[in-house]
Amino acid sequence: MGSGPVSAVQALQAALAAENAAVFGYGVAGAHLSGTRKTAAEQDWTGHNEARDTLTAMISALGAAPVAAQAFYRLPSQVHDAASAMALAAYLEDGVTRAYLGLVAVSDQRLRTFGALAMQGSAERAAFWRGSTQAFPGLEAS
Amino acid sequence: MLAASAAALPALLATAGCRSSDAFAGPDPLAGRPALSPDVITLQEVIKAERAMIALYQAAMNGEPASQVRVLEGLLAQHRQHLAQLQARLVLPSASPTPSASASRSAAPRRTTIAQLRTAEGASATDLVQRLVSVPPALAQLFASIAASDATHVAALAGYGQG
Repeated sequence: MGSGPVSAVQALQAALAAENAAVFGYGVAGAHLSGTRKTAAEQDWTGHNEARDTLTAMISALGAAPVAAQAFYRLPSQVHDAASAMALAAYLEDGVTRAYLGLVAVSDQRLRTFGALAMQGSAERAAFWRGSTQAFPGLEAS
Repeated sequence: MLAASAAALPALLATAGCRSSDAFAGPDPLAGRPALSPDVITLQEVIKAERAMIALYQAAMNGEPASQVRVLEGLLAQHRQHLAQLQARLVLPSASPTPSASASRSAAPRRTTIAQLRTAEGASATDLVQRLVSVPPALAQLFASIAASDATHVAALAGYGQG
């Protein structure tokens, strides 16, 4: 794992780290949401858990040890109401999108496709929470 | 005679019994333009498709209420950003033919429905993901990002007219 081409394991680990952060963050965001938004947050939380498990299995299959989730994640800002919870959800999805974009740079074509499709899902969720679309998901600063 | 003109060079080389490719270690400067690489051809095709998408949006906005046109204009602006980024990656010799914007605009239908836009956005996202496996990493990431943007447009258009 030097400074050469992007390592598949490195990119997968980055995606796993982003998914771990999303699982934690949605737990915080969901506590401040209600109704359909809470339902959406719960669905997204479940989706990120499933993605975490998928990535964990992929990394293990490559002979590496998956990065462990942290006990606590520093959030970008305080979450105290629905608006800040939705902003956090969009922030988390932006992070996941950026991480999957890293997978698109690896040489393995299947991993590239996997990353590209995964970032479509996170970009759609980010647009839902933000209420607007972006021209370059994953390439734009959140 | 050191001041031989470029036009006279082939004749001089022929007189000397050698081809121009014998005189230079690099690409033969007298052999004409080299063929475009597959990456360049792919990029040209994606640019052409992006222009067609812009034309579709322009056709869709005809006759729409101003409040709805504003929604479409936002998405169209993002497609124009896509086109600008794609074109910035394309560096061709000045004599190389490039698809003209007017040609692609004339190919657009006179009226486009929102359903057709949604279909086109979805197809574009799918096409870009298929293409990104065979291009250099930086271009693949641009394709993936544009595909993700297109995917969000599908969802945005699904809510079109409901706001």
